[in-house]
Amino acid sequence: MRALVPTAADGAQVHLTSQTRIVAAVIALFFMLLILDLIRRDKLQERYSVIWLVAGLGMLAGAAFPGLLEVVANLMGVRNTNVALFSIVLLLLLGLALNFSVIMSRQAAQITRLAQERAIEKALADKQAAEARNGGSAGEQGLQPEEQRFEG
Amino acid sequence: MRTLVFIPAWNEEASVASVIADVREAIPGADILVVDDGSGDATAERAREAGALVASLPFNQGLGAALQTGYLYGLRNGYDACAHLDADGQHPAEEVARLLAEVTAGRADLVIGSRYHAGAVSESGDYRPTFSRRIGTSVFRFFLTLATRQRFTDTTSGMRAANRRVMALFSQHYSPDFAEIESLQLAVRQGLRVEELPVRMLERAGGSSFLTPVRSAFFIFKGLVVLLVGQFRPRQAEAEQ
Repeated sequence: MRALVPTAADGAQVHLTSQTRIVAAVIALFFMLLILDLIRRDKLQERYSVIWLVAGLGMLAGAAFPGLLEVVANLMGVRNTNVALFSIVLLLLLGLALNFSVIMSRQAAQITRLAQERAIEKALADKQAAEARNGGSAGEQGLQPEEQRFEG
Repeated sequence: MRTLVFIPAWNEEASVASVIADVREAIPGADILVVDDGSGDATAERAREAGALVASLPFNQGLGAALQTGYLYGLRNGYDACAHLDADGQHPAEEVARLLAEVTAGRADLVIGSRYHAGAVSESGDYRPTFSRRIGTSVFRFFLTLATRQRFTDTTSGMRAANRRVMALFSQHYSPDFAEIESLQLAVRQGLRVEELPVRMLERAGGSSFLTPVRSAFFIFKGLVVLLVGQFRPRQAEAEQ
């Protein structure tokens, strides 16, 4: 255990090589272009795209200014910037997944209500059709409250 | 006094017609609506042949959504009272008529038909709950009583009668996942008068219960979460009169 401590301290301040920075920046740019293209092709709605564009900008910022990550890591009280990076990404993904569950629940409720409305409308149409067939007033499921519709 | 009796049905082609006939005989003045919850069989056709109006949900949405459809239909079409019973033939319509009488007499806003209520024991020789159902029932009974400070014996009963206040509330708020229990908690929290009436229930006429031990455990867990969350829901202002 003791041997591990200095190793961890050595790796505390990871400096990204310019190569990794360029790769990260290119990936971030491609990612944002992909998002814009999805919007353009109507595969993604604008209101759900904002969060992804922000994520892309974050990636770009991280690649452009590696010092940023160290500032954030220091703020978090984490000595290892890698740990800080992974924690941030993990929390972000967790938040996104939760966000999707909320959206999904809302849409499930909307779909249910839509199905109910449609079922009721169709039932009412059927009822009117039945009343029309039976000569208007004396419908089987008519609206006359006093009338006894049960014929024994 | 206009009365609606609605019957949520999912793949109950074998029993739905006889349930409709039973309701017609026991509650002659009521309109009958079968809420077909996306059945894959001939439930809707059998119900129409039996003379009921059918509201068909385009896909299976679960009991809660089906019941809510009935409440919404009742509210929209100006019914003064409504009742619902299961489509599998477990609920005798004459018992539903007794529940409705309580509502129309203005003694309660929502009346639950209870298999386990003290008065029901002597005449409930027809109905025998399974072991897992008995456990679930007692757990929910305990927690719902704790949550509402009102004694409930049959928390999952699908035989109920309600007035317009309840229709207004349930057509807006009705959990699709855990309809029976959450609705009771909600109604009590909104200050509605909820009552239980001992009723006689029969063995299932067709189909089998969906409860296996694992499902029961999951069902109970979900129910407890629902009840816990329900305790922290804001109380709403008076539902539409």
